[in-house]
Amino acid sequence: MTHPSDTPLFLASNHLSRRTHDILKERLEEDSSALPRTLSPTAFAVLERLVTVLLPQEEILGQQTLNLALRVDMALSGPRDGWRFAELPSDIQAWEQALLTLNDLSISQFERPFPQLEDSAVEAFLDGMGEGKVGLHTPDRLQPPQMQKWSLDLRADVIECFLADPRVQDRLGMSANLNGGDERFQGFETVQANEREDFEPITKICSAA
Amino acid sequence: MKTYAETDILDVIIIGSGAGGAPLAARLAQAGKSVLVLEAGPKFTPSHYTSDEIEAREIYWLNERLSGGRNPQPFGGNNSGTGVGGSLLHYGAFLPRPDARDFQLQTETGLSVDWPFRYEELLPYIEEVEAFIGVSGPPQYPWDSSRHYAYAPPPANPAAVKMREACDAIGLRHADGPTALITRSFNQPHFGTRQGCVSCGACHQGCRNGAKSGADNTWLPFAVAHGAEIRPGCFVHTIETDQAGRVTGVVYKQNGQDIRQRCEKLVLSAGAVETARLLLHNGLANSSGQVGENYMTHISTQIWGEIDQEVRPNRGYPSLTITEDMMRPKDADFAGGYLIQSLGMMPITWASNIARGSTRRGADLVRTLAGYNRSIGMGIHGDCMPSPENRVVLSDEKDSFGIPKPLITHSYGPNELAMHAHASRLLTSMWDAIGVRDLRILDRAAHMMGTARMGKDSGSAVVTPYGQSFDIDNLWISDHSTFPSATAANPALTIMALSLRTADAMLAH
Repeated sequence: MTHPSDTPLFLASNHLSRRTHDILKERLEEDSSALPRTLSPTAFAVLERLVTVLLPQEEILGQQTLNLALRVDMALSGPRDGWRFAELPSDIQAWEQALLTLNDLSISQFERPFPQLEDSAVEAFLDGMGEGKVGLHTPDRLQPPQMQKWSLDLRADVIECFLADPRVQDRLGMSANLNGGDERFQGFETVQANEREDFEPITKICSAA
Repeated sequence: MKTYAETDILDVIIIGSGAGGAPLAARLAQAGKSVLVLEAGPKFTPSHYTSDEIEAREIYWLNERLSGGRNPQPFGGNNSGTGVGGSLLHYGAFLPRPDARDFQLQTETGLSVDWPFRYEELLPYIEEVEAFIGVSGPPQYPWDSSRHYAYAPPPANPAAVKMREACDAIGLRHADGPTALITRSFNQPHFGTRQGCVSCGACHQGCRNGAKSGADNTWLPFAVAHGAEIRPGCFVHTIETDQAGRVTGVVYKQNGQDIRQRCEKLVLSAGAVETARLLLHNGLANSSGQVGENYMTHISTQIWGEIDQEVRPNRGYPSLTITEDMMRPKDADFAGGYLIQSLGMMPITWASNIARGSTRRGADLVRTLAGYNRSIGMGIHGDCMPSPENRVVLSDEKDSFGIPKPLITHSYGPNELAMHAHASRLLTSMWDAIGVRDLRILDRAAHMMGTARMGKDSGSAVVTPYGQSFDIDNLWISDHSTFPSATAANPALTIMALSLRTADAMLAH
């Protein structure tokens, strides 16, 4: 995994507030040097494998992909979103236990740890979790209905961390953060279809064009 | 701003500075009462709000809630705010009036419950709210020719335009919806200049130029100008009573310190979860056994899809087009009805809905995310009935203040399921009719109501039709927890109208 250093041009726009600029700039460097601080090494390795199959980044970011597992790990230790499923333990505990559940199941079913599974097996686990068919009835592990709930949190957190990165926003041509600067709060002059304003990034990948 | 000493005994303390607490604070202060508003969150500087959806969570209520039931509701940005101005800091500003028929749904259908008064009784307050805060809308409203809006609608974004086309295609009426924002600058008394909306699209992340009509730029400055104090960063955890059971004051935590403030009357305006939690934690006002019961939401089914145009759904007021034609659909197999609105959306909110509402993964998920700039949506708000299944209770887990975290149980009943199914079919046919591709229905609920309902009978309601506790005569509730049923309208306007009505009742009391 490489750590991209390119800075999207839109970060220099005067349609971006200083505060938002600083938030996005800091996020660019978020996974450049940090190590996982929330999850155990075993659980983190499972998350890394899951993320590559759930959200393959290459089509959007080329080879300069984000360390999404690390960003999720950091987010777990930060301020959360104000709620959790009643059936799950606290977020950090739920993530650790869910990921170890997957590892245990991988070892019992495939005789190797989860990070060594082929894509097809990881896909089957992702789908099985969504259907409420994956889980363990042992202490400190999550049962199938809990795994089903947790898989929604997994999906949401991974996708949020991905779209929060300014490089991803730039590649997808998103202008949501360019809604007004500090000197002048411009908003958008046009909201019509097919009318892009000069300061808005163009879409840089084929499937988004 | 006037400030009161800890030794002062206030005429009125209000817990919460949002749609429930702020209008009432303004009214009571104007009448010369000494008023203190205790707000758990901070006072924000609007120009400092950020469109970054992760950091913008600072204006959401982030004290953890446990969400259960067959339709567990996501909280956070979905419905609960914090800070001076409450949830109006992040609300979407879609401001339809409640439908008069929704106040009498039991009489009409035998299901749900009637409100303890008719819509017509609330109407003068609704009109007063609209006139005071500033609301935009069309010159002619198709479902009510008598109403007038002071401001022209903001520009229509592609989702709004496409919903008009879809309505035309299947024979539904449509209009620019009532929106709580101003489209030209206005010098708001006691606040200052509010700029017209500039179509920035980030209503849910906090309005940076004052265009959105909240409590922070309307009711609260009015209240302060008339002698009220707004005290931020104060989390009330204890309601104190005397031997007769009347409220004597509250204890709140501020900067780690417990502070007592006494009052003659107390108003709870903390929202359907926190108002109920506060009463349950203090064991008050619950002789009916109804505190925390009948938690309700709005059925908020959405549809999303893509078109072959670059629409950039972050731009413009997000949800402009409305149709009220489904308030009583002819082919309905349910009681009540729903509103439909067009939807643009900020990208992470949009993507989170996809994450939680679909099973897409891998290349399919990437392609879906890459389609953001081509995406248009519609959503409904449907009436929800009170049910003994749905409630707020205290969990076994404590929060950072040492108070039990709330556990919210929420499951759709047969009526809600039927309405969701009806809406899913209709929304699909609407987008199909104009060739929108890759359609996705999202099954979701939004807003919160109930848990301390009003009524005429002290055995089945927590407060009177004016919001006064049946059990404690100097305890009042002014927020959406008093709603007997959800109605289909976004709750902010009804909450504010009820707030003024409760204030008038307190003054007359």
